[in-house]
Amino acid sequence: MPGSNYDRDLSVKEGFVLSKFLVKWEMILVYILILLNLVLLIFKPELFFQAGTIQTIINSGFDSSPLVLGMVFILLLGDIDVSVAAQIVLGGMVTGLMMNAGIPSIICVLAGILTCVLCGAFNGFCVAYFKMPAVITTISTSMLFRGIAEIVLGENSLKNFPAWYNKIGWYNIGGIIPLSMVLFLIMGAILIFVLHKSPFGRKVYIVGNNPTCATYSGISVFRVKMGCFMLMGFMAGIGSIFFIGRMGGGISSSMATGYEMTAIATAVLGGVSTSGGKGKMFGPMIATFIMSFLIFVLGLLGVDPNTKKIFIGIILILTILVSTVNKQMIKDIKLRLLYHNNKNIEAVNDRTAELVKKNKNEIKKLQKAGGKDAEIKKLQAEIEAAQKECKEKSAQFWADQQADEKKAKERFAK
Amino acid sequence: MKKLLHSRNTGLIVVLILLLVMARILTPNMFSVQAIINMLQNNSVYALLAVGEMVVILTSGIDISIASLLAFVGIVTTSLSCANPGIPGVTWFILAIVLGALCGALNGALVGYLHMVPMICTLGTMYIFRGLAFAVSGGQWWFAASYLDSYRVFAIAKILGIPAIVWIAVIVMVLVGLFLGYTAPGRRIYAIGTSRESSAVAGIKEPTVTFYAYIICGALAGLAGMLYTANYAGGYYGMAEGFEMTAIAICVLGGVSINGGKGRIDGVAIGVLIMCVITNFISMIPGMSVWQKALQGAIIIVAVIINYFTERTAEKRALKERGALI
Repeated sequence: MPGSNYDRDLSVKEGFVLSKFLVKWEMILVYILILLNLVLLIFKPELFFQAGTIQTIINSGFDSSPLVLGMVFILLLGDIDVSVAAQIVLGGMVTGLMMNAGIPSIICVLAGILTCVLCGAFNGFCVAYFKMPAVITTISTSMLFRGIAEIVLGENSLKNFPAWYNKIGWYNIGGIIPLSMVLFLIMGAILIFVLHKSPFGRKVYIVGNNPTCATYSGISVFRVKMGCFMLMGFMAGIGSIFFIGRMGGGISSSMATGYEMTAIATAVLGGVSTSGGKGKMFGPMIATFIMSFLIFVLGLLGVDPNTKKIFIGIILILTILVSTVNKQMIKDIKLRLLYHNNKNIEAVNDRTAELVKKNKNEIKKLQKAGGKDAEIKKLQAEIEAAQKECKEKSAQFWADQQADEKKAKERFAK
Repeated sequence: MKKLLHSRNTGLIVVLILLLVMARILTPNMFSVQAIINMLQNNSVYALLAVGEMVVILTSGIDISIASLLAFVGIVTTSLSCANPGIPGVTWFILAIVLGALCGALNGALVGYLHMVPMICTLGTMYIFRGLAFAVSGGQWWFAASYLDSYRVFAIAKILGIPAIVWIAVIVMVLVGLFLGYTAPGRRIYAIGTSRESSAVAGIKEPTVTFYAYIICGALAGLAGMLYTANYAGGYYGMAEGFEMTAIAICVLGGVSINGGKGRIDGVAIGVLIMCVITNFISMIPGMSVWQKALQGAIIIVAVIINYFTERTAEKRALKERGALI
């Protein structure tokens, strides 16, 4: 329809700027990954070049990888799902029980995945329809799902699974490329398309940023949330295949505890904000590699599995601090240390800094274009004047504040 | 009377009585005074954790590190007390509270002053404390033989026929209830949970209040750690895994709103009782022990859904009353 609103070009064109690209969160994750590899290379060179080491590392960390992919969607909504580990157990249980009954394996696997999808749908219904907080819903449903597995299985474990389950956890294609990584990358590629290129993905971002706004723009928040939770359930179903394969083809009701926290930690490390609407699919995918390398490298360096938890915790906290809080934090610290807790001084300084930055940019432009010296000098004079004024004003405010405090003290002393 | 009928706690008490009646019918010989005292003794730790968790949830935060914190403090006090039998037991009691408060201060500083998301921050510290618990213990397990009587006395000494750990839990509940209801700092916790912006405008230092809320939670979890090891006379680095979920569940069952600013100590007390009746009496019925977890989960979901409906009817009623006024 030419001439109508639909004709507008709504695509955002961001030019490729190398300096910006290099400090992107995803790139920082890549650096960390390279750093980990270097550590491994320096401390255990003979192991690093041995055939099969890298494959083992990747295989060892990828049993929770499908959960990470699903968790990104949930976190983007601003929700959280801690019932995924219980879903894995429940899905695996259904598959195993049906295999025991002698039903063809493909139906069993599909039934297991379907169970997980239904679990996710139940979570989603509680969260989206009853507007229950996701934390509470999923804590209680994780108890419920695991409880059902406990009721059915008791102390027993199921061992009858399709033979190709083990291959997912352990097989390398041609002896070089781990099968789990290939599957993970394929799933990741599909989900990148869903999240970044499809209408559904955009809706997820909008709902995560502001559900009220999404409702008024005609997006069914209920449907988007249901979709995300069911997708999470589907990924948990796939995750159960990965997990059982990695465990060597067996499952019992007490297995996979703590996997939900690993998945959340990985997604957060990948730069997904837990308050919703911020984050990309690439980050968590790289973070999955980082997690598996990190755990393995620490293990090789002689750190025992439980002490590793300290490192994971510290890294988690540090990454969050560095990635999301730094601006606010620097502002707070500046306000406290430099500006004597006085917001007026802060405002004056901020305004001056902005002006100085703007003028300096203009000077640069002029110099490039070979502009007149007079104009440059004028701008420089402006900067100096602004700085001088700023200093005077700050001193004035500070003096005022001190005088006020003195007065207040005197008054209360009486 | 009308107020009593609409109160949430009335419903909870009805549920509690129903559960007790059910337990009386299904397990008649288990329903003795001694069994009830044992039940209270074994669930006092949950009470301490839930009270601490409640204080944090009231500020619209959440603390999922308390179970790891419990294990860490429990391991530290256990290992120190076993190594130094000469030092009086009170030292460990105080050390547990101080150490817990310090760990809580870490959470509080990260959430309050550095504006981290509570869930993620405590997820990180959960890993850290659990790892520290292992590092301190070195993988060692402690059994009943190695525990000193001067250490265990805080949990099992009987005052008026009731174990000390139950008294401690009751005293903590009363103190925290008074603190939250009748002191200025307690009201500030409710205020920042209800609305951060308006409380900041009203002159409440929101970071500081959050900081102290996490310290209270940590101190109570630390105390629970010492009492837990003293009560069961056993400890290892992986103990109490998943207790944080139970504590949160008790809070929600007791009517503490996860969005903050709503909830009272009496609701939490009844929530603790309901939870321990479910876990204890239901598990005594033959063949029902495996049902525990599923029942707990189902009850919380039902409780939250009931919450939703009662809140909606309350809102509708309030709207009607307002309409009548206009």
